[in-house]
Amino acid sequence: MRQFIIFLAKGLAIIIITMVLLDLLYTAVFMQSDSRSKIDFLYNSKDKEYDVVFLGSSRVNNHFVPKIFNDNGYKTFNFGITRSRLDESALMLKLMIERKYKIKNLILQVDLNINTNDHSEAIRSLFMPYIHQSQIIRDHYKNIDEYPKLLYIPFYRYMNYDARIGFRETYNSAIHKPTNALSLDGFNPLMKNVRPLVPADLSKYSPKRNKSYDDIKKICKENNINLIAITTPICMSTINREYFDQIKLVYPEIRSFENAVTDDKYFATCGHMNQKGAIEFTKVVFNAYFKPKNVN
Amino acid sequence: MFFNSLHFAIFLPIVFIMYWFVGHKSKINQNYILILASYYFYSCWDWRFLFLLVFSTLLDYVSAMKIEQSKTQSERKLWLWICISINLGFLGIFKYYNFFAASFAELVQSFGMTASPILLKLILPVGISFYTFHGLSYIIDIYYGRIKSEKNFVDYSLFVSYFPLLVAGPIERATHLLPQIKVRRKFNFNKAKEGIYQIVWGLVKKVVIADSCAIYANEIFDNYQNANSLSLVLGAIYFAFQIYGDFSGYSDIALGTSKLFGIDLLKNFNYPYFSRDIAEFWRKWHISLSSWFRDYLYIPLGGSKGNKLFQVRNTFIIFLVSGFWHGANMTYVAWGFINAVYFLPLLLLNRNRKNVDDFTLGINFESVRTLLNILMTFSITCFAWIFFRSKTITDAISYIRRMFENLDFSSQYFKIERYNHELITLLVVFILVEWNNRSKIEPISGKYSWLKLGLCIAAILALGVFSDYKEFIYFQF
Repeated sequence: MRQFIIFLAKGLAIIIITMVLLDLLYTAVFMQSDSRSKIDFLYNSKDKEYDVVFLGSSRVNNHFVPKIFNDNGYKTFNFGITRSRLDESALMLKLMIERKYKIKNLILQVDLNINTNDHSEAIRSLFMPYIHQSQIIRDHYKNIDEYPKLLYIPFYRYMNYDARIGFRETYNSAIHKPTNALSLDGFNPLMKNVRPLVPADLSKYSPKRNKSYDDIKKICKENNINLIAITTPICMSTINREYFDQIKLVYPEIRSFENAVTDDKYFATCGHMNQKGAIEFTKVVFNAYFKPKNVN
Repeated sequence: MFFNSLHFAIFLPIVFIMYWFVGHKSKINQNYILILASYYFYSCWDWRFLFLLVFSTLLDYVSAMKIEQSKTQSERKLWLWICISINLGFLGIFKYYNFFAASFAELVQSFGMTASPILLKLILPVGISFYTFHGLSYIIDIYYGRIKSEKNFVDYSLFVSYFPLLVAGPIERATHLLPQIKVRRKFNFNKAKEGIYQIVWGLVKKVVIADSCAIYANEIFDNYQNANSLSLVLGAIYFAFQIYGDFSGYSDIALGTSKLFGIDLLKNFNYPYFSRDIAEFWRKWHISLSSWFRDYLYIPLGGSKGNKLFQVRNTFIIFLVSGFWHGANMTYVAWGFINAVYFLPLLLLNRNRKNVDDFTLGINFESVRTLLNILMTFSITCFAWIFFRSKTITDAISYIRRMFENLDFSSQYFKIERYNHELITLLVVFILVEWNNRSKIEPISGKYSWLKLGLCIAAILALGVFSDYKEFIYFQF
């Protein structure tokens, strides 16, 4: 039995050493990756200056065309991430401050995402490689149940979120395999139109006060960032469009743009505009808040 | 509590310590510890079904003694059939009632009459197919006088409920397991070490191979209408490795766990995808079930005695029943039928026992032929798996039709943000490892075992699927 206990102890040591080594390796790979996702780009950049940045979910990622702003003299980047919630948008803004970004205007999508105070597990995972390096990320997640395991068990975070930051993503990051996340200054156009449009059903949606949105407002105020909170278009056949009116009751400062583009031809799906729709919409937003600068 | 869960990782060491440090002095203590652990293990799924397990155990235990005490043959037969009927009755109600009720209603409706079957909302008790067959083999062996009935209820209960094999086999035989339970087990370092190696290799098969393949196979089978020919071919291959990695991985963990307690279980898989014909495949795939059907169904039906027509009938019965054993769905029956069809030429030409010997490959024509036979057997096996995996027979036929009609063999990108060909490298490495170690139980033991153990652990940690957790497939059977 003594021999077996020694054998098990050696096996356990192999497991621990392997976990530590893999953790170091994976983290080293993610620390040098800046072209796979908007989060690694953000973490591995510093001192950027933007006139305008966009934050939100796919309804930002697919809807805002930074080129329109850039062509008019406003340095702009779309940091919207499909599936992200306001919790992740807030963390991205905090990271921008930590990375010493200088931002003049933040355009934040606040519509379907204030139906809940929940987070996105898929997007949360993308912050995890940097948890040991970033105090901001640690502070943001210190109250979640899994925090001790994520922070103190080597390699646990890569196993727990293997679909997003596991071997496959680490390998692709190591070989610098490009994605389209950062092309077009973060704008990801939808080219394929799904027909017929299936109406979005918001009958169970109701806007609620959102802690992350309140955090974003506070951060913007502290850092002299002009916050522009807006809703974004959704197709006219959506069930319970009154949801957008109710948003105003919770947060009166949010500006309504859900009707800025209405023609079905501009929609790839009911909740997402196609490229043409995105261009139309971006022009509407630009004209509502900005004037062209003299550019060559 | 699954073998690849944290719960089991805590449970197993506790039982191990209790078994070897508290109960090691007598066989009685060892058995008490194992039976308590087994009942706890089973109750973790659904404690209500523990009563069913205990009832089934009690029924077989009493029936066996009654058969043995019977003075006349008719009395023996009566007790045998009471026991078989009740056991199969439970299995039938829990597993097959809804299928038969719905099928009957469909049949009635096809004659223009109306029928609204009463369907039961029953949860299938985990492992019921396994422990029912377990008990049946015991009672049939008693009836035929192959073994004596077990008088000690704890020992018998442990034979039925022993936790490593309780929920998904292997289906043990009283002649093999009971003698081991009847004596005090002494700790054997080499056996325990072998058990650890087998557990680790089982985990590699489950979390690295099976669960990775499952991601792709599920995507392809669930959206086969949008998949091209290459994806559909790969989908069948991925599923073949998913079910192999899943079930043989489970079996390895079960056998390895049991070795930690000094008990050997029956081997359930013997590198089936390296078979040279379908008969050899069935001697190497789910061995405990195949041999169960051979001994308790095929041979009592007459087996290979009698004329060819008789043998063909028996072959079809055994394959169809084997298919139906997996679940109440016509897809499983179709899978069994296809395998029977594969088997038929071998049976008619008396070649079903042609490939029973081991083989080695060299640089000669014979080796090329062997390799081609292996590839052919694997291909037809994959074809049959399409029926096993599809939701309906119509889906399976549409899947196959599209595979042959689409004829687009390009790389395809799925909604799950992965390419269809991504797993091929992993599978090739896995096949090479299995091929090079096919004479052993697992590939870790032998030279450089620490290095191989480290690589396996690294593979589990780095390549394993943890976030998209999947149950063992055979738990549903």
